[in-house]
Amino acid sequence: MSDEEMEFSDDDYDDYYGGEYDGDVDHVDPQKNDPEYFHVACLTDTEVERLLNESVEQLSNSIQVTPSLAKLLLHMYNWNQIEIVAGYRQDCHKMLTSVHIKPATPPQQMTNNQQGESEATCPVCLAPMSPDYASHLTCGHTFCKDCWSMHFEVQIKQGMSTGIECMGNSCQVLAPEDFVVPLLKRPRLKEKYQQYAFSDYVRSHPQLRFCPGPNCNIVIQAKECRAKRVTCTACKSQFCYKCGGDYHAPTDCETIRCWLTKCADDSETANYISAHTKDVNIDSFQAVGPCKTVGEYEEIAYCPKCHICIEKNGGCNHMQCFNCKHDFCWMCLGCWKTHGSEYYECSRYKENPNIAHESAHAQAREALKKYLHYYERWENHSKSLKLEEETLAKIRERIQNKVMAGTGTWIDWQYLLDAAALLARCRYTLQNTYPFAYYLESGPRKDLFEYQQAQLEAEIENLSWKIERAEMTDRGDLENQMDIVEKRRTTLLTDFLQV
Amino acid sequence: MILQCSRIRNQELADIRKSGIKSFRDILVDESNILTWQGLIVPENPPYNKGAFRIEVNFPAEYPFKPPKINFKTKIYHPNVDEKGQVCLPIISAENWKPATKTDQVIEALINLVNEPEPEHPLRADLAEDYTKDRKKFMKNAEEFTKKNSEKRPAD
Repeated sequence: MSDEEMEFSDDDYDDYYGGEYDGDVDHVDPQKNDPEYFHVACLTDTEVERLLNESVEQLSNSIQVTPSLAKLLLHMYNWNQIEIVAGYRQDCHKMLTSVHIKPATPPQQMTNNQQGESEATCPVCLAPMSPDYASHLTCGHTFCKDCWSMHFEVQIKQGMSTGIECMGNSCQVLAPEDFVVPLLKRPRLKEKYQQYAFSDYVRSHPQLRFCPGPNCNIVIQAKECRAKRVTCTACKSQFCYKCGGDYHAPTDCETIRCWLTKCADDSETANYISAHTKDVNIDSFQAVGPCKTVGEYEEIAYCPKCHICIEKNGGCNHMQCFNCKHDFCWMCLGCWKTHGSEYYECSRYKENPNIAHESAHAQAREALKKYLHYYERWENHSKSLKLEEETLAKIRERIQNKVMAGTGTWIDWQYLLDAAALLARCRYTLQNTYPFAYYLESGPRKDLFEYQQAQLEAEIENLSWKIERAEMTDRGDLENQMDIVEKRRTTLLTDFLQV
Repeated sequence: MILQCSRIRNQELADIRKSGIKSFRDILVDESNILTWQGLIVPENPPYNKGAFRIEVNFPAEYPFKPPKINFKTKIYHPNVDEKGQVCLPIISAENWKPATKTDQVIEALINLVNEPEPEHPLRADLAEDYTKDRKKFMKNAEEFTKKNSEKRPAD
């Protein structure tokens, strides 16, 4: 089955749940029920251009400047029309100098030109220039048109557009569009200039964002800049609107950036340590880390009861030994029974309460131990997500076979795909709860967070277990589990997603 | 463009030679490669006033719309010049370059940098640290290095 169908099932799922919620109350605010709700529009470049041109026209009419100047002002002031109009009416000179449209000091009369028209030379090419072949910006630095053209060409080839400055020594006056474009000789260059300028305008506009998807030209428009999930309608990329990176709720942009940098710096160390310090783990920590070794054997553990070697081949962290049928947790190797019960503690890191009195060395070790706890869980859920993709492929194959064999129709089995999509979505959120917890300060809020995280984790593993054995569990049971998982996820996000 | 570029440089060269600045002299233009100049920097301030330093100025074909590049051919113990002779001079960085800037202004900026190192944006962090924290040690090392590695200063 293709990806499109997968997306389709995802959409279906939204409708299904949206419909259920809407059934209770008429016209509810979607924001109330869904903490991740975010309204955006996916625009093509023509639509964006129309939008920008409307702003330019409005401003140019209200303060009586050329559209080109209005565009530059809007760009420099992040398209805040109100601020520009107010500032311009108060002190237009100050405003124009602040954005380098006018020089700070009034231009000195160019002695060059005053000496007599025939003697004027262009300060760049040092060749004589006639007055009708010379031009200057508001700063008065005069150069011949050939030099201006050449200057623009070199600048544009370096990717510059709205930021092109005058050629004069340490002069910061900007060349507006209507000065640059007529001096460009080749149409290809004009095109490039417009293209770069367009990118600059989108980047300076607080309500617009380029879709980060590869080769995607869509621009996303949102009224507010918030760290919410956006799905591009064209390339289907999902990302955080605010930072443009992978979506990361409940963690905020700043925290996820710290976390990813830390992981990039430390992950090799983390891998090495978790691979080589098994004995130390047994001696000094009460919880024994899974017996992982480097590389391809990473997905192998020993059953804590009968010690037989077990390979992890699915995303579910609830493991059952094929030999002795012992149920255990892949992450902490603890008995699954205690995990499944009311208080699931595998996700929680237990800090040493006396750490402040320990030596610097012990503190460093404690810090590393804490980081490894969160990093291993973060990494493990990322691996589970990948393994569950394989499960999804298997589910599709099974459905295909069933439909071909005449056991039910595609519609009958759709719920399995819905369940897999929901599982992926929930596990993704769960993965992102670990950086959040890592940086959260100890206290009642962290206790509550970790309680909810543990609840979510336990239910996700239950769901994963049931999906992997979908033949054996009945549909009602699975759908009930889906409902529980999604409720846990929504509860956690409602309480902790503050973006 | 090459023609225009060489015409401008010839005039600039004439201007520099005419101005007779003492800190930059012996300017040579390679006949086979007109895009390269060589010259001798003769600093006034210690520890560099114990020697002279040969530099190479490379002009791109797009000159003066793109900045020239400067390299030290003589080894120099300086926080802003690395072991390969590359120098960090803001006036000729791509972002700051102005086509109206003349080569003599660039040379002047270079001489100022040699005379007054700028440890705030170093190319060699170890030297910059000595320069700010242990000036005596820096001066001693730099003087020894200059005596050993630099060129002879012109007689006058």
